[in-house]
Amino acid sequence: MIELKNITFTVPKTEDGSTQRTIIDNLSFTFENGRFYAITGPNGSGKTTLAKLIMGINPITSGSVILDGKDITSMSITDRAKAGIAYGFQSSARFKGTTFRDLLSIAAGTDNEGKLAQIIARVGICSMDFLDKPVDAKLSGGEIKKIELATIIARNPKLAIYDEPDTGIDLWTIGPMVELLKHEQRDYGTTTLVVSHNRSFLEAADTLLLIKDGKIAYTGNFDNALPILTDLSVCGFGDTCEGASNVRCYR
Amino acid sequence: MLDAIDKQLLKAVADLEGIPKGAFNIRKNGKLLKREVSANINIETNPEGTGIIITIKPGTVNESVHIPVILSQAGLYDVVYNTFIVGENSDVTIVAGCGIHCGGPEREGHSGIHEFRIGKNARMKYVEKHVAVGQGKGKRILNPTTKVFLEEGGHAEMELSQMGGVDEAVRLNEAHLGPKSTVLITERVLTDGNQSATSKNEIFLEGEGSRANMVSRSVIKGDSVQYFFANLEARAKSFGHIECDAIIMDNGRNETIPALKALHPDAELTHEASIGKIANDQLMKLMSLGLTYDEAVNKIIQGFLK
Repeated sequence: MIELKNITFTVPKTEDGSTQRTIIDNLSFTFENGRFYAITGPNGSGKTTLAKLIMGINPITSGSVILDGKDITSMSITDRAKAGIAYGFQSSARFKGTTFRDLLSIAAGTDNEGKLAQIIARVGICSMDFLDKPVDAKLSGGEIKKIELATIIARNPKLAIYDEPDTGIDLWTIGPMVELLKHEQRDYGTTTLVVSHNRSFLEAADTLLLIKDGKIAYTGNFDNALPILTDLSVCGFGDTCEGASNVRCYR
Repeated sequence: MLDAIDKQLLKAVADLEGIPKGAFNIRKNGKLLKREVSANINIETNPEGTGIIITIKPGTVNESVHIPVILSQAGLYDVVYNTFIVGENSDVTIVAGCGIHCGGPEREGHSGIHEFRIGKNARMKYVEKHVAVGQGKGKRILNPTTKVFLEEGGHAEMELSQMGGVDEAVRLNEAHLGPKSTVLITERVLTDGNQSATSKNEIFLEGEGSRANMVSRSVIKGDSVQYFFANLEARAKSFGHIECDAIIMDNGRNETIPALKALHPDAELTHEASIGKIANDQLMKLMSLGLTYDEAVNKIIQGFLK
C-alpha cells in the first residue's frame, strides 16, 4: 500500500525563485496493494510529475509518501528501488555500449542465463540474441519499450509505475502490453500505476485517477469518467484558450 | 624467467598468464626476452636492429601472434620499429601492448612504431592495450604509432586501448586503403589525475569501394585532458565514418576535432561527435534498478569503454 499525504511540488516561476508555480497541489491518495490504477489528465496537468514524486526522481516540496507503513519521503531513488518500487520511463534512456543483458542483469540481480531467459519470455522476447543488443539509439521504439518493460518485471516490484508505456509503439502492440501488465498484476500481485492517455490502459484499470491542475479531479471507474474524458479530449487548455482560435485545442 | 611484475604486466596487456602458445616475441626493458616462431609466422630482428619483422605466410588462417613489451627499468625510454607483413588471403590476430611498471622517481616510456602491410583479401585483427602501474612518481609515457597499408580487399580491425595509469600519450594512427579494403579502428582511452592523451588519426580512402570506420570513446576524469583529431580523406568513390564520444567527469577537459575531406565527387563521409557529462536519464534508469549513484556511474563507464 502506498499513501500520498498532502503532497505538493512547486518549481520556481522566476529565475530568482521569488515566485513559485505549483505542479502538484496538496494531493492525497492511497494506492491499495495488488490493484491496477490508471492516471490520466490533460497535458501539463502533473501526471508524470506525480509518478516521479513517488519514485523519488523529483523531491517533494511538502507532504509525505508512505510505503507499507514506512515513511519513504526522504529516501533516494536507489533506496526506493530496493524497497520495491520500479519505474518505467516515458522516453527510455539510450546508452553507448551498455547491452540489454547488462541492464537486465542489474535489474534481476543475477546474470544467470536461465533466469534471464525466463524474464524475457514474460515480455514476449523469444530470442536470446536480443540480450546482447546494445541499448542505444539504433533500437526501434518497440524494442526499447520491451527492454524497459523487461527491466521492471525483472525486479518483481511491489509497485510498478509506468509513465506512458505506449509511447513510440504501434497500435497493435498496445493490446498485448495491457495484457502483460494485467498478467503481472494477477500472477505476482504487483500494484500497478500506469500514466496514460490511451483508452486501452484506462479501460484495463481497476481505478482511474484524473489529474487536473495538480489535483485529483476524479477517481473511480472508466465508465463514469468517460463524459469528463470526452470533454477533456476536445480541449485541455480551457484556462488558457478561448474557444477554437488557439491551435492547441486541436492537438 | 618472468618475475611477479612481468606476469602482472603480461596479464594486463595481453591477457597472458605466462608464456603464450604459438608465435610470440616478448620484449623486456628494451631487450628480447623470448621469441618463438611457428610454421606460418616468422619473427626476425630487422636489419637495423631497431625492432622486428613479423611475416605471416599467405593463406595462414586462425593463427595469432603475441608481441607484448614490458618495462620495469627506471629511466628507460624504449623505441621499437616493428613491421608486420600479412600475406594474401590470411586471417590472423595480432596482440600487442605495452605494460609499464614504474617503481621510482625517473620517467619511463615506450614508443612502438608499428607498420602493417595487409595483402590482398587478407584479414587482420590487431589488439593493442596500454597500461601503467606501480607506486613510483616517475612519469609513464607511451607514444604509439600505427601505420596500416591495405591492398585490394584487405581488412583490418584495430582495437586500441589505454586504460589509465599513463601520464602522457601521443598516439598516431595512419591508414591507407586500397580498392575494396576496409578498416575499423576502435580506440578507448581513460585518463585521470593530471594525465594527458592525444590521439591523431589520418585515414586515406585511396581505392574505389574502400570503407573506413573510426570509433573513439574517451573518459576524462580528474584534471586530465584529452585531444582527439581525426582526418578522413577520400580520394576515390568510398565511404567513411567517424564517431567520437567523450565523457567528462570531474574537471576533465577535451577537444575533439573530426575533419572530413572529400577529394572525389562520389565520396560519402559522415561524422558524429559528442562531449558531455554522463546523461542524467542513464543515471536515473540505473538508480531506479537499485544501483547507487557511484555504482551507476561505474556501470555506464564500463559499458562505454567495453
